[in-house]
Amino acid sequence: MSCHTPKNSYKKDECNSKAIINIALAGNPNVGKSVIFNQLTGLSQTIGNWPGKTVEKLEGHLDFLGYHFNIVDLPGIYSLSTYSLEEIVSREYIVSENVDLIINVIDATNLERNLFLTFQLLELKVPMILAINQMDILRKRNIELDFNDLERLFKLPVLPVVAVHGTGVHELLERGIEIIESFKDIDYKFPDLTDISSFGKEIETKLQILISEINNNYPHVMDYNYPARFLAIKMLEKDEEILKLINSIENVEPLLAKTNQFINDLEDYHGEDINSIISSEIYNNIHQLVEKVITIKKKKEMKRRSFADKMDHLTTHSFWGYIILFLVIFGIYSFTSAIGNFLGTVIDDVFSLWTESIYLSFGEETLLVKIVWDGAVGGFVGAVAGVLVYVIPFFFTIEILQDSGYLPRAAFLMDKIMHVLGVHGKTIIPMILGFGCNVPACAGCRIMETKREKKISIALTSLIPCAAVMTVVFGLVGRYLGLGWVLLLFFINLLVILIVGKILNKTMPGTCTELIMEMHEYRKPNYKVIFKQTWLRSKEFIFKALPIIILFGVSLEVILIFNILEPINVILSPITFFWLGLPAITGVFLIYGIIRKELTLVLLALFAENLDIAINVFLSPIQMITFSLVTMLYIPCFATIIIIAKQTSWKYAIQITLLEISLALLIGGIINFSLVFIAGIL
Amino acid sequence: MSAMRANHRHRRSKSEPVSLIKCLTECGRGEDVEVVSVNAGFNAQRRLYNLGIYPGSVIRKKKDAPFRGPLQIIVKGTNIVLGRGLASKIYVRCGESCTFD
Repeated sequence: MSCHTPKNSYKKDECNSKAIINIALAGNPNVGKSVIFNQLTGLSQTIGNWPGKTVEKLEGHLDFLGYHFNIVDLPGIYSLSTYSLEEIVSREYIVSENVDLIINVIDATNLERNLFLTFQLLELKVPMILAINQMDILRKRNIELDFNDLERLFKLPVLPVVAVHGTGVHELLERGIEIIESFKDIDYKFPDLTDISSFGKEIETKLQILISEINNNYPHVMDYNYPARFLAIKMLEKDEEILKLINSIENVEPLLAKTNQFINDLEDYHGEDINSIISSEIYNNIHQLVEKVITIKKKKEMKRRSFADKMDHLTTHSFWGYIILFLVIFGIYSFTSAIGNFLGTVIDDVFSLWTESIYLSFGEETLLVKIVWDGAVGGFVGAVAGVLVYVIPFFFTIEILQDSGYLPRAAFLMDKIMHVLGVHGKTIIPMILGFGCNVPACAGCRIMETKREKKISIALTSLIPCAAVMTVVFGLVGRYLGLGWVLLLFFINLLVILIVGKILNKTMPGTCTELIMEMHEYRKPNYKVIFKQTWLRSKEFIFKALPIIILFGVSLEVILIFNILEPINVILSPITFFWLGLPAITGVFLIYGIIRKELTLVLLALFAENLDIAINVFLSPIQMITFSLVTMLYIPCFATIIIIAKQTSWKYAIQITLLEISLALLIGGIINFSLVFIAGIL
Repeated sequence: MSAMRANHRHRRSKSEPVSLIKCLTECGRGEDVEVVSVNAGFNAQRRLYNLGIYPGSVIRKKKDAPFRGPLQIIVKGTNIVLGRGLASKIYVRCGESCTFD
C-alpha cells in the first residue's frame, strides 16, 4: 500500500508524521539539472532503470523543512514527442500519480530553445516551478531577465538559480512547499495560460472541437491522465504513442477522421506539414514572451575571441583537431592504466602478505581457507585491484570530458569515418572511452537514440582494446617482440571492428540515423560535480558488478579445488592446441581472463615462474602473437557482458559474446597457421 | 498570433529567383539565412522542428567539418551539429552575397 495521495489533492501523509512531496526534474540536456539534483539529494542518489526500459532512472531524496522530498531526475529531453524513449518515459512518468511537482530547469543562455520544452510541459497541467539556471553567465553578458514579469506571464513561480554556486536551489523547494500547501484542501487548478500559449485562430478552433469531442464522447480517455488539450495537440502532430492509446478505445473512428481532416486543412492552409506548423507556432509564442521580459543592457564589444571560442576552433580544426583527439585517447589510456596499475599492484602486494599470514595461521590446504579466502576474499580483492582501480580514475576522466564539453567535438570530427562503420559520430564517444575501460564505455552507449544504433555501438565498443587488454599486449608482444608487432595487432583489432560494423550494419534492419547533436560552449569543469558524479557511478558499479565478479572468483576456486582443471584443459585442447597452436594450459588462462583480461598474462607469468622458465621460452613468438590476439578479441570481460545485457538484452549480450569468441578463434587460428606457414618458408 | 505568422511567410513570391534557394551544404558561412523547407524523414524532421529548424526560422551556418563531414549551425543561439546527409535536405534562402567558400 502506498502512502502516496491521489493527484491534485494533497494531504499530510498518514503513514508517518512527515509529509511527502514527489518532485520530477525536467529540462534539456546540459542545463545543469544534475548539478541541482546533486545538491538536493547528495549521496542518497541511486541509479536504476525505468521498469522494462533501457533508460536510466536517477532517484534521490532529502528532508527539508519538515517535508520528505522524493526527487527523480528525468533524462535530458528537448520535447515531449516520441522521438526518443527518454521523451516517452518522461511524459508518462509526469502524468502518472507519482509526481506532485515539476521543477523545469532552464538554461538562461539558451532561453528560447529551452522554453520549447517548457511550453510542452505546461500542457500536462502538473504544478510546476521554472528554475532559470546559469544566471551568472547571463549577467556577464549584460543581459537581464524580469522575473516579476515572468511570474506574471507564466502564473507559476519562476526563480533564478546558479546551480554551480548552489544559489537559489533550496528556494525552489521552499516555493514548492508553498504551492503544495496552497491547495491542501481545495482542488488544484492549473493556471489558465491561453495568453501565452494559444496558437493561431485557425488552429485553436480545431483544437477546441477536438477537446470537446474528447470530453463529451470519450471520457475514458481521461483515465490515462493526459489533459484533453495535450491529447488534441498530439493527435494533430500524429504522435504515435498517443494515437495507439486513442485507437484502443471503442468507436473512435469519427474522432480520428476529424483529426485527419483538420490536419489536411491546416497543411493546405499553411503549405507546410503539421509538425512544422505547430513547432513554429510554439516558437512564435516563445519569442513574443521573451521579448517582453529580456533586456540587453548594452552590447558588449567582442574585442577578441573568448577562450572557449579559441578552444572550439582548435578542437574542431581539420588538422589539430585530430591530433588533439588522438592525444585525448592516449591520455585516457595512460591516466587510467597508470593509476590502475599502481593501485592494483599495491593492493595485490598487500593481499599477498596478508595471504601468507592466513596460510600460516589456518593452513593453506584446508577447504574453508580455500573457498573463503582464496575464492571469496581473493575474488573481491581481484575485482578491486583488477577492475575497480581502473574504473574509478576512468569515470573521473569521462566526467571531465563530458562536463567540459569536449565529447561532441570528437563526434563532429569523426562522424564521417563512423559512417563507414555504419553508425554516426556519437558512437566515437563510447569508443574513445572504451580505451580506458569497456564497462563504463558500454554503459555510455545509452546516448544513442535508436535501439539499432545502441546495439551496433555497444558491439563495437566491446571490441575496443581496453587498458587491461593493452597491458597483456604490451607485456607480452611489446616486451618480447617489439612495438611494431603491437601496432600490427592493434590495426588487426581495428580492422575487426570495421568488419563487424559492416556486418551488423547490413544485417540489422533499419538505417543509420543522421547526426543531430547539440554542442554547448566549452566551460570550466566543476570539480564538486565531477567528484560527486564519479563517486555515484563508482558506487553503482561497486554494488552491482562487484558481487558477481566475486561469485565468479569463488566458483573458479571451487573448480580448482575439485581438480576440474585437467578435464577442462583436455576439453579445450582441440581449440587451444591444435587450432591455435598454444600450449593446452592456456585454455584455463583464457577462461580466467573472462573476469579480468590481465589475468591471462598474470597466470601465464605465474605458471612460467612455477616451471622456472622464462615466458619467451615457454611461448614461441608465433604463440605470443596468437595468444595476445585472442585475448584482445575473444570475449568482453564479464562485467562488460552484464552491462551489455542491461543496456540491450541478455539475448543480444550472448549473441555478441558468441560472435566475439568465434571471431577470435577464427582469426587466431588463421594467424597461427599463416605465421607458421610463412616461418616455414623463410 | 496569426499576425506574427505573416512575418514568417515563406512562400516564394513569383519574382524571386530560384537560385537563391540552396541547400545548407552549398550555402556560405556566417550569414543568417531563412529556412525554406526540410525534406527529411518524419522523425528527423520532427527533431529539427523541435530544435528550431523549421520553415520560416532563421539559422546561421558556422562551420563545416573536414572531409565533407557534419555541419555546425547556430539555431536560436545554440550550436547544433548536423550530419551532412541531413543538412543537404534542408533548404534555405541565401542572401545574394552568400557564396560557398
